[in-house]
Amino acid sequence: MAQSAFTAPQQNEYAGDEVSAIVLDPGYSTVRAGLAGEDVPKSIVPTFYGSTDGKLLFGDNTIHNSYVPNMEIRNPMSETDGIVQDWDTAAKLWEYSITSRLTGEKQRSPATNGLNDMKDEDVEMGIDDVEEQEKPLADSPLLMSEPGWSTVKYREKCIEVAMEDWGTPAFYLARTGVLAAFASGRHSALVVDIGASATSVTPVSEGLVLKKGIQKSPLAGNFISNQIRLMLASTSPPAPLIPHYMVASKSPVDAGAPSNATYKKFDTPPTASFRRLEEERVLTEFKESVVQVWGGPGRLTSHDQNGISNEDKARQMPGRTFEMPDGWNQVYGVERFRCTEGLFDAKAALSDSEHPTPSLSQTLPALIQASLSALDVDIHPVMLSNIVLTGGSSLLVGLSERLTAELQAMYPGPRVRIYAPGQTVERKFASWIGGSILGSLGSFHQMWVSKKEYDEHGPNIVEKRCK
Amino acid sequence: MGAFKEENLIVIAPGSATTLAVAGLAESLAPAKLRVKSRMFPAENGEWEPFKVRRKTAENQQPEQEPAYEEDVMSEEGAVWPMVEGRIVNWPCFFALITHVYNTLNPPFHTPILLVAQPAWTNKETEKITQFFFEKFKIPAFALVDSATAACWAYGTNTATIVDIGWQKADVTVIYDYAVQSAGRSIAIANCGGEAFTERLLELLKPRGFTREMCEQLKRSPICEVLPPGTPLPGSSAPDQEQVTNPAAAASTGASASGPAAAAAIGTGPRGPGPDTEVGEEQKDEEDNEGVLDVASIVAGGKMNEYLAKKEKEKAERLAAKKKGGDAAATAAKPVRLPNAKRDRATFMYEDHALLDSLKNMNLSGKMMAEAQAALDEGPNKRQKTPEAVADGESLATNGEPTSAIEPNGVSSHSGSRAGPIRREIEVGVERFQAATGGVLDRIADAIHRTIAAEMVQQRSQLWDSLIVVGNGAKLRGFKEALMSTLQSKYLISPSSATIFTSELPSHMTTPTGTGANTPQPQLGLHGGGSSSVNPLLLAATTAQTQHLAPPHMPSSQMQHTQSSHQQTPHSIKFAKVPDYFPEWKDFGYDEAGFLGAQVAAKVLFVVDTNQNQKGYMTRSDYNEQGPSGIHDFSL
Repeated sequence: MAQSAFTAPQQNEYAGDEVSAIVLDPGYSTVRAGLAGEDVPKSIVPTFYGSTDGKLLFGDNTIHNSYVPNMEIRNPMSETDGIVQDWDTAAKLWEYSITSRLTGEKQRSPATNGLNDMKDEDVEMGIDDVEEQEKPLADSPLLMSEPGWSTVKYREKCIEVAMEDWGTPAFYLARTGVLAAFASGRHSALVVDIGASATSVTPVSEGLVLKKGIQKSPLAGNFISNQIRLMLASTSPPAPLIPHYMVASKSPVDAGAPSNATYKKFDTPPTASFRRLEEERVLTEFKESVVQVWGGPGRLTSHDQNGISNEDKARQMPGRTFEMPDGWNQVYGVERFRCTEGLFDAKAALSDSEHPTPSLSQTLPALIQASLSALDVDIHPVMLSNIVLTGGSSLLVGLSERLTAELQAMYPGPRVRIYAPGQTVERKFASWIGGSILGSLGSFHQMWVSKKEYDEHGPNIVEKRCK
Repeated sequence: MGAFKEENLIVIAPGSATTLAVAGLAESLAPAKLRVKSRMFPAENGEWEPFKVRRKTAENQQPEQEPAYEEDVMSEEGAVWPMVEGRIVNWPCFFALITHVYNTLNPPFHTPILLVAQPAWTNKETEKITQFFFEKFKIPAFALVDSATAACWAYGTNTATIVDIGWQKADVTVIYDYAVQSAGRSIAIANCGGEAFTERLLELLKPRGFTREMCEQLKRSPICEVLPPGTPLPGSSAPDQEQVTNPAAAASTGASASGPAAAAAIGTGPRGPGPDTEVGEEQKDEEDNEGVLDVASIVAGGKMNEYLAKKEKEKAERLAAKKKGGDAAATAAKPVRLPNAKRDRATFMYEDHALLDSLKNMNLSGKMMAEAQAALDEGPNKRQKTPEAVADGESLATNGEPTSAIEPNGVSSHSGSRAGPIRREIEVGVERFQAATGGVLDRIADAIHRTIAAEMVQQRSQLWDSLIVVGNGAKLRGFKEALMSTLQSKYLISPSSATIFTSELPSHMTTPTGTGANTPQPQLGLHGGGSSSVNPLLLAATTAQTQHLAPPHMPSSQMQHTQSSHQQTPHSIKFAKVPDYFPEWKDFGYDEAGFLGAQVAAKVLFVVDTNQNQKGYMTRSDYNEQGPSGIHDFSL
């Protein structure tokens, strides 16, 4: 075969200008990355990472492996507001989420990517080689999401990492709230995002965030997990929260009876942080299959006009069983409503010495109220009729109905309409999907911050361009 | 009719270990005609060769003469494997491999190609591959099918959990309504494939002098098995310490054999009588050299003649012993008739390539070479010649033959005795049952659980009921059964005693339990809004009620989504039904069902499907218009 046929075609032979951008949406629980124009992110990597002997382990396959000795599970994000704390690791993790599924591993020096042991043959590679090697994002523009409350420093760091470490030719930073509104096909919306570490309310008007209306609180997925933990511990006998990896096999037992299982024996038991990560998996299953939000009207603790308390009504509902990985199982009646009540009613939240009752202003209705009261009264109706519910924890059964009921009680005048798609994917990845839509728009191309502009103006350009 | 004919199609499925290919689809979609190991050898001129090329040095060669070369079709020395864990790590080598496959198939011009894509390939990489195919082979059309999708096509289902056990890795993929669910997909889980089994065997048998290659062949031999978890190993008289007290429970659960019982069994196994149990002593004991495993180093060290003499002597002794007590020999032979799982020791035929290599490197003359091979070979062919060993040979033939049949290499048939490997008989103990004890089963089971848990709650039970296990790593005897038993003992939710008798129906929400494994399963028609493990009548009743109860402004379909089967899974775990309408695959086994599915896909995409607006393949003109990145619009 002729050698000439092997040379790549000219750029203009195919539509060479249509380079699809990479959309990166980092969160506390997962990092979502994918190509603009696709309907779901191709690469979903847990933000939790393993660390053993100075080696970093990324990805579901490695961090859930109980056979890795002494692996500590960490998270580079802050537990309270989903802002990056450990920049070095976060950048590596994000890079992994892009290279592992989207662009492919570029040959980088093992010394810098942190994924490898230093082997003898690696050391031979000189510093010069490292310089010459292609950067991971050298030929794709990057659209990144940021929480509405990120600081100037945070935003500058984002563009710095993208431009300097990853070598992206063009960059843009967009707020998650705006993106989630776009994903629902709206340019004005009140985005209620219930994530893992934080719940936020972001008013978006004509595609722009109304900064003064941004509210956030830590009552989100992790809070619910802690509520479930407290609930499980408070039952008598306390439910054993044994993760799957510890169980070799289980056998059926009666509800509430002690479990009859064989447990795995480990020479070096996995670390406490690993156990906690695995416990979270069980709790997630619990959230998905047992927990429910009291649908209203009224709070779980309130009474109707006949004096019958809602708790009694909840008690009437058939209970749901949950089986722990070791076979222990129990029916949960009104308890399954109590775990989530704290989101709406701070006083009803379960608490102990380590987990104090949240403050009244942190609840979901209070957040929305605070957000709206910071806004012009004129746009209240627009906001209330375009509430976009998003985030993985918003999938709790009954949450959207309850929120509707609460808001209708609070704002009897204007029409309250909550947009909450039934597809899990659309709710979990709303801000990524919005980014995918934005990134694939033809008109978006003029909004990119190019490498040249960055070189000229420095990282502060992100403040001017990405509003 | 579509644009192409069945006889003019190529299907290529590259894997880290083996690359499968076929040119022209047979009526019955036969198993792959071409199987090549996914490796190439760097040649002296910087190119790649499919086989090891050796410089031939004749004894009377003149220095100025052109050096002569010979191809060595068996040797693995210096091979480069371009794919690791499904990822392409050496692009030139990978392209050379594909070119080699293409040239071997030698298709006419204008033959479209369907390539089975590894899940680990990224978008950028598939673009690179697309570019290569169009520009190197000038093909008229190209299609990419994901390996999991391909397996799904073979099983004729649109929703399944595909567990692909490969060589170095395993992939767990959920396909729901024909769409690969990339969100929770577990791609390239390391140390979960066939190689992990070999590694585990090596770890167990290394103290006994086994090499990697020996373990590899042991794994492929039929004596290597995964016993159902909890089964005591043969020869271990001690009761299984992990046995659960409740016998019914023990039957349904059973521990995966990684606990102390298995560890204890390792200790007890070698106690059985056998000539090479005490490996440590074999150096001292001149008479007993059955256990000498590394013949290659003996030969390379120039001690071949001593070794052969020793063997002769021993053979004569054995013959004498047999003559002395025929009865004793008969009784000794009896345990051999037991099923493999009951025997604590078994033998397999080992094809010693290392020995052959070292013989070749010694530059023996042709005649000497043949003699040496004949002397060292213990294979059944030779055994037949010695009458006293016929009985022995018979039992071995069953063991020895499939070893070579498992990996029939379409290119290099090793029929000639000249090129054939030297076969030797090796005995192993209960280690052969422990290939999957290194946590592989746990890891795969966990990945399956994780992958399904990433899907929507109401889809999960359907996914648990349609597991498809493919890949040659799953060929290990008993592996699938052991995996199923691990899954069931760890993840199956039993009907709760709390609600099983009290579930008064219909309530306005589905009761989470009491709809155990015995509930009739609705067929595939219900996908979309429905649940799957709930009685359809019950579903209809409950959703009608929820609709009634739903706040008027909530769309009812959404209520269905969030309410109808909001329950813990799985209540049952099943393998998907194996397709039974492919006669040639029935005997061959469905481990390579992905390749079967790829052929189905090729036929459908290139031949049957006439919808020109939404083709499943990329044509040359599409490529010219859109370039390599256009492949994403066409690939499945």
